[in-house]
Amino acid sequence: MESAIGHDALGDLRRARRKNRLADLDWFEAAYRVYLVAFAFGGTALWASGFVKDSKVSGGTIADMFRHGPAIVGMTAVVALAAGLRSGSRGGPLAIEEADVRHVLLSPVDRRHALLRPAVQRARSAAFGGALVGALAGELAGRRLPGSVASWALVGAAVGANLAGLFIGGALVAHALRVPRWAATATGVVLLAWQGAAIAKHVVGPANLDGSFALWGMRQRGADIAGPAFTLVLVVVGLMLLRRTSLDALARRSGLVAQLRFAVTMQDLRTVMLLRRALSQENTRSRPWIRIRRSGRSAVTWRRGWHSLLRFPASRLLRMSVLAVGAAASEVAAYKGTTAMFLVSGALLFLLGMESMEPLSQEIDQPDLMSSLPHERGDLLLRHTIAPMVALVPFAAIAVAAVGVIEKSAGAAAVAAVLALPTVWLGAGGAVVSIVKDAPDITSAAVEQTMLPPEMSGLTTIVRMLLPLVVSVIGSAGVLLVRSAHRAGSSELGAAIRLAVAQLILCALVGWWVRRRDQWRVKIKGIMAEGRDATAQQRATRAQSPRSTS
Amino acid sequence: MSEPSRHPKPASRHPKPDLATTTALAASRTKSPAMSPRERNTTAPDRTIEVRSPAPVTGGALAANDLTKNYGDRPALAPLTLLVPIGQRVAVVGHNGSGKTTFIRMAAGLLDPSGGTVHVMGHASGTSQARSALAYLSDTPAFYDDLSLWEHLEYISRLHGVEEWDQIAADLLGHLGLYERADDLPNTFSRGLRQKAAVALAFVRPFDLLLVDEPFVGLDAAGRTALLELLDQAEEDGATLVVATHELGYVEKVSRLIALRDGEIVHDGDPTGTDVAALVAPPA
Repeated sequence: MESAIGHDALGDLRRARRKNRLADLDWFEAAYRVYLVAFAFGGTALWASGFVKDSKVSGGTIADMFRHGPAIVGMTAVVALAAGLRSGSRGGPLAIEEADVRHVLLSPVDRRHALLRPAVQRARSAAFGGALVGALAGELAGRRLPGSVASWALVGAAVGANLAGLFIGGALVAHALRVPRWAATATGVVLLAWQGAAIAKHVVGPANLDGSFALWGMRQRGADIAGPAFTLVLVVVGLMLLRRTSLDALARRSGLVAQLRFAVTMQDLRTVMLLRRALSQENTRSRPWIRIRRSGRSAVTWRRGWHSLLRFPASRLLRMSVLAVGAAASEVAAYKGTTAMFLVSGALLFLLGMESMEPLSQEIDQPDLMSSLPHERGDLLLRHTIAPMVALVPFAAIAVAAVGVIEKSAGAAAVAAVLALPTVWLGAGGAVVSIVKDAPDITSAAVEQTMLPPEMSGLTTIVRMLLPLVVSVIGSAGVLLVRSAHRAGSSELGAAIRLAVAQLILCALVGWWVRRRDQWRVKIKGIMAEGRDATAQQRATRAQSPRSTS
Repeated sequence: MSEPSRHPKPASRHPKPDLATTTALAASRTKSPAMSPRERNTTAPDRTIEVRSPAPVTGGALAANDLTKNYGDRPALAPLTLLVPIGQRVAVVGHNGSGKTTFIRMAAGLLDPSGGTVHVMGHASGTSQARSALAYLSDTPAFYDDLSLWEHLEYISRLHGVEEWDQIAADLLGHLGLYERADDLPNTFSRGLRQKAAVALAFVRPFDLLLVDEPFVGLDAAGRTALLELLDQAEEDGATLVVATHELGYVEKVSRLIALRDGEIVHDGDPTGTDVAALVAPPA
């Protein structure tokens, strides 16, 4: 039994910290942030509303929903639980300050007492976020389904909170029971497969009750309460087991999570990915899969790239394969008529590119080292993309195989074989743009950027943020042209070949941009400096003849 | 006109340090009743411990049995078995990456062992009894962003059940030359001042076992002297000290030297006449 030493002190410490924080809080800035969040959420709701027709769905569709809905919506609950188990096995879901780990958790204060508040806060904020998204989804569903919009919004909020609870509860329990990673992954896979069977074969799935609960806007069944009740029990058990929380995991996560939040704030995707890997303890292999002979005469950058790529752990290679399969499936869906899926494919290819461009990213992370080399930076950066681009070839092959399996047609596989590599490369081109644009500016003139008016600055930020994704999506959009060719009765293969050539040209343009970027920036800054000098001269001239305009 | 301070000046609020009572200060921090050096020598087991004892070691201030740690596929600590008797002053030395910090952090309960066990004063590491008996001074201090040094001292003392903390805190700050900075945020301090603040936080609460990792990093001469005095006093008062350090000069002050190389103990015994420099040399 743990003692009650320091409980008062812990309460006083938290009160003192709250008081100090409130004393330093800028209320205007806080209110502005709330306004921005509300604006963004409202904007999203309005934008999403545009996709939903106002007409009510037919009786047949509702019957289908009653039949298939619980299993399909239940899949989201299984995904939430599986993600929670995985997070818990890797030290999640709590992340507290390092000082709390050192001073509070190393003191004789009861750990459950010390961790209860952060854990409840974590569960509360997750439930709130889930409820918000769920309410939005419910409101949209309520426009077309029987039942009032308010009741659908309420049910949506409850379902969202339930999913968040499954994630947090699963993570807390898995953490406390020290479930090994392989066991958490295996459990997740079994649950997903079981729920998948429930969708495909109409067997009773593990989360059908959670799915059925989501239909409460039009049908209320008492048994459905068992789903959320299980979630509640899971969370309560997780909170009761808090005493078993690993200090090792908390100490490791404390610093990383703070950095992760900062990186998200700065929209630094590369750092977010790095920290996410660190959080999930995905370490680079100390020994490469294949040793490269030291006596080789190949180019240094080429060898450096392979030294990095051959140290990818198996989990990362598996993730990259899943991304390739996901992108292929999305392309097939877009080809078959779900047009918006090309956006998903583009995003997945972008992530695949970010994973593969590790050697380039590592070089960007060491700007001093690179600037000390007697080479043009653009040339070096371009050379560092070659090995990763070659390494993407097997993943393009995986994507072609996936299309073959999904479509079961030689024609589709042939088109995929032509398009896969250029599409994957252009997807990686977006990642290259994202990584290189965040490189330190060697022409260094942050001052000029700060001179921009806020409206221009905001626009520039959005363009900078979206440009890499746009490049990747241009690649994945090619499938729509093949679809048009098919609908027009033209040769799909011919269209694919023309498209592949265009994509390769775009890849070359990205490479050219990487190589010439620094030189262009120097020129632009020179022109801007000339403009400033000219303006200053004009002002000086005007100042010398002040009476001329009066 | 200058902006008024959010906190009153230390002198107006905190007790004045009594610099003449450093001895009493450290004595009040140790939980064990003070033993004379002679008493400790008679109660302590043989200091030259078997490096890989086949039988589990028990008792003492710190007992590790087959303790291992792996980082991925790389072992950081080979199975390590050792017993540190109560009242002993131990230096742990070794090259970078030899496993010193890993060992200290596992003993403190901050790192989960891959195998084996650690006990502090007879209690499993990480339990509330072990935490109550142990103070840990890290080479990378951690502070709250929103608490002054004085507030840190207050809450850490109270978290360890010390209610009469303010005079002790004032004396410690005076001893370390931090009294005038009591109302400042320690996260804004320089590296050396942060280390001094961490020393104050480690000594403000009672302990039986003090685990220290690279304590001299960043300290100026006065800070080193002040820390050595606190360590000497804690030893005199019966506390057990385990200090991981690269400072070979510190080894002269200890009664037992443990040298690690690549996670294995390569020396465990009296430091007298030992070529310490050779022991800490990295492997070829």
